[in-house]
Amino acid sequence: MRTATETLLKVEDLKLYFRTTKGVVQAVDGVSFEVGKARSVVVVGESGCGKSSLAKAILRLLPRNVHTYSGHIYMDGVDLMSLSDEEFRRNVRWVKISYVAQGAMNSLNPVIKVGEQVAEALLIHTDGVTRREALERVQEVFRFVGVPLDFIDRYAFELSGGMRQRVVIAMALITHPPLIILDEPTSALDVLTQANIMNSLKRIKKEMKVAYFLITHDIATSSELAEDAIVMYAGQIVEMGEAGHFYLTPKHPYSEMLMASVPTLREDKELRFIPGQPPSLINPPTGCRFAPRCPKRFSMCDSEPPMVELADGRKVKCHLYG
Amino acid sequence: MSGFLSGLRELTKYRSAVLGLFIIGIFVVVAVYAVVKVPYSEAKRLWRSGEKVWRENPVNALPAWVNLFPGINLPPNIVVDSRKDKNVQKKIISQSATLRKAEIVLPFEFDYDGFPKELTVHFFTRYKRTKPFVLFHWQTPDGRVFDFGNVQISQDQWYGISLDKDLAASLGGVPERGLFVDPHNPDRPLKGEYKLTIEAYLFEPDADIDARLIVYGQVHGIAGTDHLRRDISLGLLWGIPIALIFGVLAALGTMVSTLIIAAIGSWFGGWVDGLIQRLTEIRMVLPTLPILIMIGVFYSSSIWVMLGAVILLSIISGAIKTYRAVFLQEKNAPYIEAARSYGAGSLRIIFRYLVPRVIPWLVPGFVLAIPDMVFLEAALAVLGLGDPVLPTLGKVLDDAFANGALYHGYYYWVVEPSVILIAMGFSFSMVGFALDRIFNPRLREI
Amino acid sequence: MARQETHKRTFFQTSLRLLRYVVIRGLSVGVSVVIGVYLTIYIANMGGYVDKIKESEIREQVAMSVHANPQYKFLPPSKQKELIAQQVELEKKRLGLDKPFLYRSGKYLVQALSLNLGRAQHLTSDSGSRRVWLILAERLPVSVLLFGTANLILFFLGVFLALGLSRKYGSLWDKTVVAMAPTSAAPPWFYGIILILIFAAILKILPFGGLVDAPPPPTRLGYALSVLKHMILPLMAWIMSGFFITVYNWRTFFLIYSSEDYVEMARAKGVAARAIERRYILRPTLPTIITSFALMLISAWMGAIITETVFNWPGLGQLFYAAISAFDSPVIVGETVLYAYLLAITVFFLDIIYALVDPRIKVGAKGGGL
Repeated sequence: MRTATETLLKVEDLKLYFRTTKGVVQAVDGVSFEVGKARSVVVVGESGCGKSSLAKAILRLLPRNVHTYSGHIYMDGVDLMSLSDEEFRRNVRWVKISYVAQGAMNSLNPVIKVGEQVAEALLIHTDGVTRREALERVQEVFRFVGVPLDFIDRYAFELSGGMRQRVVIAMALITHPPLIILDEPTSALDVLTQANIMNSLKRIKKEMKVAYFLITHDIATSSELAEDAIVMYAGQIVEMGEAGHFYLTPKHPYSEMLMASVPTLREDKELRFIPGQPPSLINPPTGCRFAPRCPKRFSMCDSEPPMVELADGRKVKCHLYG
Repeated sequence: MSGFLSGLRELTKYRSAVLGLFIIGIFVVVAVYAVVKVPYSEAKRLWRSGEKVWRENPVNALPAWVNLFPGINLPPNIVVDSRKDKNVQKKIISQSATLRKAEIVLPFEFDYDGFPKELTVHFFTRYKRTKPFVLFHWQTPDGRVFDFGNVQISQDQWYGISLDKDLAASLGGVPERGLFVDPHNPDRPLKGEYKLTIEAYLFEPDADIDARLIVYGQVHGIAGTDHLRRDISLGLLWGIPIALIFGVLAALGTMVSTLIIAAIGSWFGGWVDGLIQRLTEIRMVLPTLPILIMIGVFYSSSIWVMLGAVILLSIISGAIKTYRAVFLQEKNAPYIEAARSYGAGSLRIIFRYLVPRVIPWLVPGFVLAIPDMVFLEAALAVLGLGDPVLPTLGKVLDDAFANGALYHGYYYWVVEPSVILIAMGFSFSMVGFALDRIFNPRLREI
Repeated sequence: MARQETHKRTFFQTSLRLLRYVVIRGLSVGVSVVIGVYLTIYIANMGGYVDKIKESEIREQVAMSVHANPQYKFLPPSKQKELIAQQVELEKKRLGLDKPFLYRSGKYLVQALSLNLGRAQHLTSDSGSRRVWLILAERLPVSVLLFGTANLILFFLGVFLALGLSRKYGSLWDKTVVAMAPTSAAPPWFYGIILILIFAAILKILPFGGLVDAPPPPTRLGYALSVLKHMILPLMAWIMSGFFITVYNWRTFFLIYSSEDYVEMARAKGVAARAIERRYILRPTLPTIITSFALMLISAWMGAIITETVFNWPGLGQLFYAAISAFDSPVIVGETVLYAYLLAITVFFLDIIYALVDPRIKVGAKGGGL
């Protein structure tokens, strides 16, 4: 995307397919992109487009029915895909990349005190840290994230949804990883809490210089957090570039329709919706996957569109630009 | 409903379930056959009849198919009847005005490697006052003749040759061996044609006598016989429908009543729910089997009473907790609220909406409960609390134990009902487990 | 849902809460026992059996005392009979046995609850006593020896094998366990019969049943070994019946719990596999595991009636069978009451352990675990 800053993460042709009783689901189908250091990326798309699977693919959180898992993920000069599970566990997880899962309600172990769980993240990956020291760090990060200190000794069920989400964010921060993947961090929360959490995230980003890989279907709230944007459709990236460009002048027909469906505060615009359904990820169609729903489709769209780089550095996967 | 049916179709994907269904199918066919061929009252009558019906069967005979094994050649029942068999010669000669002598020759072939179990002659005589007098002459294939008898015979008399003490004394052993033994090889019977000649003296002009010789075999029937000479196949045959019916009814009755109570409790909440919770706790403290046993010992061990007791005891059980949890979750669902708001009555809501929700737990649970019930009936029978009049699988097993089947080597008596019980248990179990894998929503997540 | 307390919870507070819980549960279970035992007596007495037992006991005692009394010893038998009948009526009145059923059953209830279970009609204990309580007390340890061992083995084998198995979903071991699960449809006594058939009747290498060889070996070691030898077949039967379903159930249970979100989060965090097993799968499921443990203990005392009978193992179960055969009502009723007590105690301890382990109860959250 941009080359002004250093590249933190470079993903090349990442594939993740699952085996199901109905066939092989091609959830992530050859995705390539880069994340810059301290530059956040937001990944948008409809439900089922593969965003969450992308997160899991990067994190190597594979389900039992994996069919294909291939590609390259470069970070700090190392291809993460080439690491063994144990190396990955020790050197990548939480050290380089941490994760805030969708629905923090259940991300916390119900029978272990919350503070302990956050401390655990630190204790696993740092040698020579005593439990007391770790708990002190927990206090620091709780303060930072906005969690009252006496919650350290509480259990997950004693906390409200918003508070739990903060704890999970704190847990993701405690080892100071350069990249944090957040999967729908606020979808399950009420609007007020959402705004609060989003503000906290903004603050954290500024103060800790961390890069977010934010996955969401809520385009509106994510606009403030990310410098870059990736649009996914049916397991593929259809547009990526600077977030500003994307929000103001989306290029791919799908991105256009997405933005058109988001209400804006000061405009009185007619909301459009995208008719039809996204294609099944089992045996996806050849050619452009958006073509059946695209108002701008033409004859070339029967073949696989190329990823075209535009003048402003954006990439679009569409025949209109090729 | 459609989900239910498609679930059933999915069942065919599991090989174990298909096998299970196949075996169940066989049992159902056999059960129907049993009920049709030997109606309920008839089955009871036969099973309880004792000597009248079963007298011509040997005691504790092995099943006939044992002879299929190489090297095994055991005698079956051989019956020779002077009234019917063509090869029997019967002559009546007048000796004087009142005395007539009847001579009945009953021949039979004996080509077996084992000795008969018993020897009996069933006499059919006609006379007014004076009983006929009978002498026996036994001729072996190699021409030896043994004379014994010398008795008066009444109208319908069974004369046990094997019980003849004088004969035994003169033979130096039991008659069923002594009369058959090969003189050169005391362990084996002599093969060939034997002849029993009955010399009878009739003292009235109208008197008559017929004889039916029964050489009791060591094998009899498809399943052998028990200590009361009953053909075990009757017990097994009828045991199958009884086990099926008991198992299904008990499982069904339990499931339905538990379901209703759980639904009512969770729907109405408040003191109703609280009461049901307390009842469940009390039930946890009551030991099931001992109470069933108490009922069986003190009142009646009839299978219908037991069935009722089992269902009653199972109504309030642990399953209530599971169903209740599901109902409570569903109770607050929007569609239930919607139903209430348009005025649907409680009963309607319970039965149309809540109950179908629990089907994923119901269906596999029901199928898996059946073998437990079948074995429960067998267990009660083995304890001696089986139904006193009906032939059930458990009863056959109980008889086997009570008569020391394992000590005496009557293994078939134990193996046959056991095999059927295992097959029943496993087949329902296999189907039940497959159903669980299909219907249980928690298992789908894996 | 969130607590806005700003002071730390003290140890004192937690203990107080626990204590309150224990007392409430104790009372609740106690009430259940009383009602349960009452029901037992009611069922037993619906045919008037408990009454008959009482009456014959009285008759026996009165007869004994009359015969022993020097005053009455030399009366003619008919006179004695009259006297006995009179005295029996007096005794019955004194003990309130001529009062309505409610009163009588109440009396029996009190007696049963205090484990005053009367005297057996035919059976005796090894020491010759006819007191039902003694007979029961003698048999209890024998049952516990066998079924305690059997259930412990089954439980620990089951849980630990299943925990390991849950990590290998779809493997050959996994498929085998699933395929063999239906073998548990047959109860232990059934496998017992087959094992006896094979090992005792046909192969003749293990005994048909009983506790020890007859005559028992003179040395303590010899005795112990003999008991062990006699335990082999019943243990095998018990384990054969329970093994596959136990492993299957736990494996399914752990599989479900290992697909929880917090387990995935732990994986994402980089927690090692062993630690995940321990802290994220085992610990949250501990209440359920312990519940199962206790429930397993419950079932051991009861289903064992037939297993013990089949193996002639002289424990509570076989006693029950002997009582049935001898139609010894006091023992039948007494043993049922004992079972009720044992069940209640188990339920009660279960609740306590549950409370200690589930933080939601310790902390007193609404809807936590109860």
